[in-house]
Amino acid sequence: MHIAEGFLPPAHAIGWTLAAAPFVVHGARAVVKEVREHPEATLLLGAAGAFTFVLSAIKLPSITGSSSHPTGTGVGAILFRPPVMALLGTVVLLFQALLLAHGGLTTLGANAFSLAIVGPWVGYGAYRLTRALGGDLLPGVFAGMALADLATYLTTSVQLALAFPDAGSGFTGALVKFLGVFAVTQIPLAIGEGLLGVLLFRVLVTNARPDLERLGVLPVRPAEPEEAR
Amino acid sequence: MTGLAVDDAAWASAWRTRSPADKLLLCVGLVGCALALPAWPGSVLVGLTAVVLAVGPARVPARTLGRAIRWPLAFIAVGALTAVVQLGGDGIGWAPDAAARGGSLVGHALAGSAAVLLLATTTPLSDLLPALQRLRVPAAVVEVASVVYRLLFVLLESLRTIREAQTARLGYSTWRRSYRSSGALAAAVLTRSWDRAHRLQEGLAGRGMDTGLRVLPEVLPSSRVFRAATVLGLAALVSASQVIA
Repeated sequence: MHIAEGFLPPAHAIGWTLAAAPFVVHGARAVVKEVREHPEATLLLGAAGAFTFVLSAIKLPSITGSSSHPTGTGVGAILFRPPVMALLGTVVLLFQALLLAHGGLTTLGANAFSLAIVGPWVGYGAYRLTRALGGDLLPGVFAGMALADLATYLTTSVQLALAFPDAGSGFTGALVKFLGVFAVTQIPLAIGEGLLGVLLFRVLVTNARPDLERLGVLPVRPAEPEEAR
Repeated sequence: MTGLAVDDAAWASAWRTRSPADKLLLCVGLVGCALALPAWPGSVLVGLTAVVLAVGPARVPARTLGRAIRWPLAFIAVGALTAVVQLGGDGIGWAPDAAARGGSLVGHALAGSAAVLLLATTTPLSDLLPALQRLRVPAAVVEVASVVYRLLFVLLESLRTIREAQTARLGYSTWRRSYRSSGALAAAVLTRSWDRAHRLQEGLAGRGMDTGLRVLPEVLPSSRVFRAATVLGLAALVSASQVIA
């Protein structure tokens, strides 16, 4: 759910841009450090960004009968960590604004705050918590991806309610309205994205285990002894 | 053809060879006017200017503009409608200034979206990315963004091909199969992106290019006439908006 260009009043657009800036700058520094130490990381990070963009082209069937596209912020946070996703997510949002007309330029800060910062951090937190409580990879991935999506939707609703408080009931009433209207698409989408994550990681564990080990998602398996082969 | 209609339009636009800085000046100016001027008549004038410039001198197909505006339009309609509904003790009703507030919201958002679309449909992203470096964005970040732009079309092509094959095998015939196919599709695209990145890296390293894909940016000279017309046009927009209001 991207806030369209021109939808937020100027003060809110500036405020959310300032709120997002430290996280995006932190992500940019992390990327610059990574690229300086490992020049080959440029292409892997670029591939991660392109994958996040392309993920939004996958249509998920929705319980409401329509179809929605995943945000990809949860999977990015689990695979590449939230600081990197703050930058990659912002780059992807800029690309979506200029290639698909999703979102906008003055609303880039607000969209980055919800989709590239809050979503990945909440998703990653849920994933780590599930794993710390003894959960397996797949329940962790489901929690991480579903909650990243829900957190994004909640944050966008808060942003809209702050910008357009209800004439009678103020911020609270506006929040109830925006949460209620967008719940129709966003709650099924969050569950759908969690399910997609489970199916995606089931395939990855089988077909791309070395990549998941390299990214620290799975522990490195000790090499099999020679005689066991 | 890249498969993204807005990108295709940008490459085919008559303004493709204009300086990105000139087009940024015009479009950012229009975005600023859309945000700052009152919805009537400011947003209407900004929206009309952006659309007329796009389909006129920039020769962007009207169909592409119309299709591209559908996504923001859905959000704008739902968002504006929600903003002008009032929750009270008697239930749900219209806010006292619903029509004016709704009109203002829709006007600002549509005018702003049209201004951004003018930039998007006349300037390929590969022309805009070097401008980021001039805005002091670190070179490493611009390079990562350039790789995203290069790879996403390859991955979109892979996605379409795999989805076509899955559909032909009835992979999307039921709800359950759709999810299973979507999971396999996402995994295939992700592993292909890694594979592509590894192979690109090996290819570059083999050519001694350890620091990445450095290419000379195309030089598109700035036009003084275009810049002067932009500044005069924006000033006329602001003046006309104040006179009509």
